Amino acid sequence: MFDQFMFVGLPYVALFSFIVGSIVRYRCRQFSYSSLSTQFLEDRWLAWASFPWHVGILIILMGHLVAFAMPGLWSSLMSVPLFLLVVEAIGVLCSFLCLMGLIILLVRRFVDAKLQAVTSYLDIIALIILLFQVCSGLSIALMHRWGAAWAPGALGPYLHSIFLLKPDVSLVVDMPVFVKLHIMSACVLIMFFPFTRLVHALSLPFQYFVRAPQKVVWTNTRAQARFEKKEKYEHERRLFLKAAVGVGSSIILLSLGTLDKFLSYFLKQDTTNSEQSHILAKKLQHLKQSAAERELELERMRQSSIFVANLSELSRDRGKYFIDYLMRPALAFIDEEGYPILLSAKCTHLGCTVGQNVDKDGRILCPCHISYFSIKTGEPSEGSPAKEPLPHLGWEIRDGQGNILVEQDSAGSRKGTLDEALKNNGKLYIAKRFS
Amino acid sequence: MRAVVISALLLFVYQVQADAYPEFQRYSKEVSGRPIDCAICHKNSDGPEGLKHGQIGSLNSEELKALGAARRAFKPGANVKNPILNEFGNSILNQLGKEKILMLRQHPELLSAALDPTSDLDNDGITDAEEFEDGTHPLNPLDGKPLKLFKNNLKKNRFDIFMLILATGFGVYGLSNALLWLSSKMEKKE
Amino acid sequence: MEDKKNKFQIFLEFMRERLPLQKMNFETMVQKKEVPIHRMSWAYYLGGLTLLFFIIQLVTGTLLLFYYQSTVSDAYVSVEFITLYVKSGFLIRNLHTWSSSCMIFCLLAHMITTFAMKAFDRPREITWITGVLLLMLTFAFGFTGYLLPWHQIAVNATKVVLQSIEMVGQYLPGSLSTFPTYLKELIQGETSVGQATLSRFTALHVVILPLLFFGVLGLHLLSVQLHGMSQGVDKPTGKKEKFFPIFIIKDFWVWGCVFLGVFILAQCLPFESFSAYPLFEAYNSLGSTPDGIKPEWYFYFIYYPLEMLPFWVIMIGQVVAGVGLILTPWIFKHTSRKVLGMIAWLVTAYLVIITVFGPQIYEVVKGAH
Repeated sequence: MFDQFMFVGLPYVALFSFIVGSIVRYRCRQFSYSSLSTQFLEDRWLAWASFPWHVGILIILMGHLVAFAMPGLWSSLMSVPLFLLVVEAIGVLCSFLCLMGLIILLVRRFVDAKLQAVTSYLDIIALIILLFQVCSGLSIALMHRWGAAWAPGALGPYLHSIFLLKPDVSLVVDMPVFVKLHIMSACVLIMFFPFTRLVHALSLPFQYFVRAPQKVVWTNTRAQARFEKKEKYEHERRLFLKAAVGVGSSIILLSLGTLDKFLSYFLKQDTTNSEQSHILAKKLQHLKQSAAERELELERMRQSSIFVANLSELSRDRGKYFIDYLMRPALAFIDEEGYPILLSAKCTHLGCTVGQNVDKDGRILCPCHISYFSIKTGEPSEGSPAKEPLPHLGWEIRDGQGNILVEQDSAGSRKGTLDEALKNNGKLYIAKRFS
Repeated sequence: MRAVVISALLLFVYQVQADAYPEFQRYSKEVSGRPIDCAICHKNSDGPEGLKHGQIGSLNSEELKALGAARRAFKPGANVKNPILNEFGNSILNQLGKEKILMLRQHPELLSAALDPTSDLDNDGITDAEEFEDGTHPLNPLDGKPLKLFKNNLKKNRFDIFMLILATGFGVYGLSNALLWLSSKMEKKE
Repeated sequence: MEDKKNKFQIFLEFMRERLPLQKMNFETMVQKKEVPIHRMSWAYYLGGLTLLFFIIQLVTGTLLLFYYQSTVSDAYVSVEFITLYVKSGFLIRNLHTWSSSCMIFCLLAHMITTFAMKAFDRPREITWITGVLLLMLTFAFGFTGYLLPWHQIAVNATKVVLQSIEMVGQYLPGSLSTFPTYLKELIQGETSVGQATLSRFTALHVVILPLLFFGVLGLHLLSVQLHGMSQGVDKPTGKKEKFFPIFIIKDFWVWGCVFLGVFILAQCLPFESFSAYPLFEAYNSLGSTPDGIKPEWYFYFIYYPLEMLPFWVIMIGQVVAGVGLILTPWIFKHTSRKVLGMIAWLVTAYLVIITVFGPQIYEVVKGAH
């Protein structure tokens, strides 16, 4: 019941009072739309009070307006942590300025004799409500931090519901105490608005920005000359200020951006566990590849001959892959008589590994750009992109004890013959002396 | 010992069917003008045959079983993981099934139409089917037709670009005024 | 007494005119320095832009060095780590790549425009010669840096270029014919491009070339500042603007806008997307070589003619061009700016056509054979 009154009844009463009150006051007592400034009565304290108060509250109100009018844009801006921090910092700073201003404004009315004479109850009430508003706002900022991020989402719908005449109190009942107090006192302030001097906020001097500059004409030439010199100096100063502001903001923005983007470059990268294991697995795979290559290299440096396969394992139409002394992939076949055929499998076109299957014409295929090579001669067939033949490799056949029984060099000259026993037990080797 | 014999036998039996499908590669190269390699669907850029990582010769018995299961996935939606295919290759297999893929070998131009038009595995803003036609890698977010990538990244990074435009704008404004200030100062001197 | 003016004294006088160090006082160097205003004044910004891109390269290169590992097993993975996992790593790496291309583009534009404006004329010969040295150092930067990511195109393109050095051997007589092979292995560090090559290219790219570049650049900039901006056109308009602060501020203005452009490109357009992806896979010495291996675009003006014309033509052409470039201030001493402008247009046309249409021209020529 209390909530219904405070968050449905009170807002509409306040809005009604504000709108009707302001219009009626304007129509009946137009000249009362004044800030009733006491500057000519007491100006020193006023300077320290009025300026920070106005600067602070205008910035805060601007922030509230943008956040509630454009919640989408605001939320996406506030999702950048740096921006959120800057906005919240500005908000707290401005509330301190407002507090300072309000307290001085209030105190000076009680302390100065001339001011006491012109102070009315409504002035004090207005100041106290404003003070309460700022304090409750500051408490929210301190106790329920990052309001710039959660407020549009949490309170925006409530405000919209009020203005769309579909008030929904359920959107605010669960709010913390200070938030509710802040909303209630805002309504009270709006309600009292047309009855206090706060109406001066409605008379904004927009014309000042667009009226033509007034030309001053002096009555004597010396004063005129002095004035023109001052104008020129001021013009120069304006240019300097514009330049300084432009370059200064540019440098600030660039520094913020560089800080934001590049500080995180140097920190430990926050990768998920699965990403870390993926990276490490890839590194390990590359290392293993490197290690395997180096082991092969070492073997080829140390050994004068390297085992390829048992003769009985080789076939006529399916080659066995191995790595030769020049670290190239190579293939081993057997011909009709049982003698091995060894050729380099590094395609002479662009280096792809040639396939191991022999077709009915005795050719193997490099799949990358479709080159066919005869395994007997190594020559590429007509129309293949490869032009050079695949070189043949020299080989040795040893028995179980390691004695070389048959050998053939890379040119094809053979020593020794193969017998049936050797065809079954023979071991095929490549030799450094043939490379 | 038995496991070795069985896997060797399996290897031998399946080697008969062990062909990659170069028709798709040839088609994509023709259409896009970009030379692609087997890595578009396979784990190893040299294709499925051989002893290296991602090729059939390097699989252990677990993986060989998975390979067998994947080779039997004739219908779509089988949810298999072929160890010699990458994510894109497996996504094609699971979306279409081996039967349809074998049919599409004769008509590779129909592959991109058959794939899911919304799937974008590398999240670069270009769908996988489009990347196949363009000859760019569907799993590499930095690979794509330059203009498309540029437009998508422009959208993704619009905040940073906007801030830099703002900073440059301020800087240019400031520097222009500095020039005016300096020239006015120098006129005064003369 | 006339005999006293021997060769050494002639040399001293020559140097005194070319390096007027007596002008190094505040008044001449700062207060009175002026820049001529004429229709080619826009070209005065190109040198500064080249410097801007070099500074970007220094900064991004140093940042990349924090994570790059120059071993054959780790180079590729470390670059991938930077690109995919380090915050802003992709931006830094892409900025480094784009900025290198932009630097070379601006450098060539700078060279061609200074040539057309006859800025190499007396007494600015040292500026021109140091500029040519900077051009060669920049190309060396590009060549050595290209190898570092250790992917297919990096290693294979380096192999292709180094092999072409070896091909010079067939034209040299007798035992000299093995000298190019010796030179190639000196550059490589071993019989084929491998770990030794990567280590020395890293040392060159990160330490030796930058130090040399700073030295030559210092001399180049000193010479520019001592002599001031050259006249630029045959009939000066007589209008001038002050170097400090007017021209400098305009220079920064241009730098700001250009940096914005290159940043947008670096943030949104991966440089590698212009080429096929197999070229950027990890280098595999036991595997196949992908299609389309070729050097970077700024080498096309040598690479495509190399593919199409006999080797000796290119060899002689390079020697003539190299010597011609260095001796330009003397060769073109009496050439009018009009003719220099025509030559500049011809060179620009050649460079643009061969770089943009090189592959197509190559296809046509290959097909015709």
